[in-house]
Amino acid sequence: MCDMALREINSKMVEATIQPGQRWFSQRGAMLAYKGEVSFTPNIQGGQGGIMSMIGRRVANEATPLMSVEGSGTVLFGHGGHHVQVINLTGDTLYVEADRLLAFEGTLQQGTMFMGSQGGVMGMVRGQVTGQGLFTTTLKGHGSVAVMAHGGVFEIPITPQRPVHVDPQAYVAHHGDVRNKLSSALGWRDMVGRGSGEAFQLELSGNGAVYVQASEEKL
Amino acid sequence: MSGYGTPGGPTVFDPMTLPVDDNVNKYTFCVELKGSQWFLQKGKMIAYYGSMEFNGIGHGRLDRLVRTSFHSPLHASDWVVAEGSGKMLLADRAFDVNSYDLEDGNLTIRSGNLLAFQPSLALKQSIVPGFLTLIGTGKFVAASNGPVVFMEPPIRVDPQALVGWADCPSPCHHYDHGYLTGVMGGLRAMTGLGGASGEEHQFEFVGAGTVLLQSSETLMAEQATGAVPPEPGVPGGGAHTGPSQQAGSPRLPGQLGDLQRRFGL
Repeated sequence: MCDMALREINSKMVEATIQPGQRWFSQRGAMLAYKGEVSFTPNIQGGQGGIMSMIGRRVANEATPLMSVEGSGTVLFGHGGHHVQVINLTGDTLYVEADRLLAFEGTLQQGTMFMGSQGGVMGMVRGQVTGQGLFTTTLKGHGSVAVMAHGGVFEIPITPQRPVHVDPQAYVAHHGDVRNKLSSALGWRDMVGRGSGEAFQLELSGNGAVYVQASEEKL
Repeated sequence: MSGYGTPGGPTVFDPMTLPVDDNVNKYTFCVELKGSQWFLQKGKMIAYYGSMEFNGIGHGRLDRLVRTSFHSPLHASDWVVAEGSGKMLLADRAFDVNSYDLEDGNLTIRSGNLLAFQPSLALKQSIVPGFLTLIGTGKFVAASNGPVVFMEPPIRVDPQALVGWADCPSPCHHYDHGYLTGVMGGLRAMTGLGGASGEEHQFEFVGAGTVLLQSSETLMAEQATGAVPPEPGVPGGGAHTGPSQQAGSPRLPGQLGDLQRRFGL
C-alpha cells in the first residue's frame, strides 16, 4: 500500500501496479493497456459489500458498473479523455460521485451516504443543484483512488478559519472532516432573469480538502 | 513554449520566433518550408506565413512525387501537398499534436491520427484495415486524444486506446478465454446477464518494437484509407475463399452454441 500503487503517467492516464492477492476496482471499460497476467471481472454487485450494499447502491443510483482487477502486473487506466487526479487516503473518508471513480484499491471501504442528512431540506436542494442526487459514494481507509474530472483538477485545503466556496458544477470530491452546505445568493435579480449565474455556491467548512475541476461541465 | 503563466500575457509569435518543425504548444505544430514539400491531410492547416501553394494530389505536376512517396492511391483525395517557403501551423480540433522522427524505420498508425508527413517517407496502406504504414527517414505529425505514451511489448492494449506501433511487433487479437467460455460465459453471451467487463478483447503485442497508446478510449474520427483490391487473400478485400462462417460471431469451444446447430436443424 505504498504511494507507488498508483502512478500518474500524464494528466489523463494512471498506472496501477497490481500485486498478487491484491484486488482493485475500476470503472468498466477504462483499461487502456496492461502488462503481465491480469484478469478483469465484471462486478455484478458494483463494488464491495454484500447483497444489501448492492441494493443500497442501486436505490441510491450510485451503482456505476465496476469491474474487479486481479492478478499480477501493471495496468494503465484512462477514460473518455478526462483528466485524472490521484488521491491517496490515509485513514479518512473521500466523498465522490460513483461515476467519477476511475480506479481504486480494494483495501478501501466503499459506502453510500445520504446527502440529505447533511443540512436537511437545503441538503437535498444541494444534491439537486450539484447534479449529485441525494446520495454520494464514500471511500474510507488507506489506499489510492483515481478520480476523473473534466479539465484539470486542483486541490484547495479547508481549514476551520477558512471555509471554501465552490461552484457546484466545478466540485469534484472532498475528503476529511468537512461539512458542506449550499449557500444561495438568490436575489431579486435572479427572479427577473438577470442573475450573475452564480446564485448557488457550495460552502465547505471544517478540516480537509476539496478537489475542484477547471470546468463547469459534468462528466 | 506556451504562453500560459508567462508574466506579461501570452507569447506573441512572428515568422522569426515561430519554432522550426516543432510544437508551438501542445495542440499546434509549426512546419517550416524552404522550397520543400509536405503532405498533409485536408483541412489541418490553420495558418501560414510566407508564400505557399496547396495542391490536391492527383495533380499532373505532382505525379512523380506521388509515385515515390504516396502509395495508397485510393484515398489520395484526402491529402494535399504544401510547397513553397514559409511557416505553416497544423492543428486538429484541439487534440494533442506531436511529431515523430523515423530513421530508416517503419511505423504503423491509425489512419485518423496522421496529420502530415515529409515526402522522404513513403506512406502505404497497412495490411491491418484502418491503419497506414510510414516507411523511410523523415518527420511526421500525428494527433491523439491525450498525450501519447510509448510502451514496450509484451503488452495487451484496449483496441480504442491504440494509436500505432513501430518496428513491427506482431499485432494480434487476445480474448479473455476464461471469461468468454464455459457455461457462465455462454449464458452471458446469450442473455447479456452478468454484465461485461468491456475488457474481454485486447490487441496483444509481442516481439521487439514500440507500441503507441493514447490516454483515452475516445477514438479520433476514422479516415478512409481507401479500398483494397478485391483479391482473394487480401484482408478486407471482400473476396471470400474457402468455407465462410455463416454466424456473425466466431464460435468458441465450450460455449452454449445456437440450438439449431446443436440439433442439426
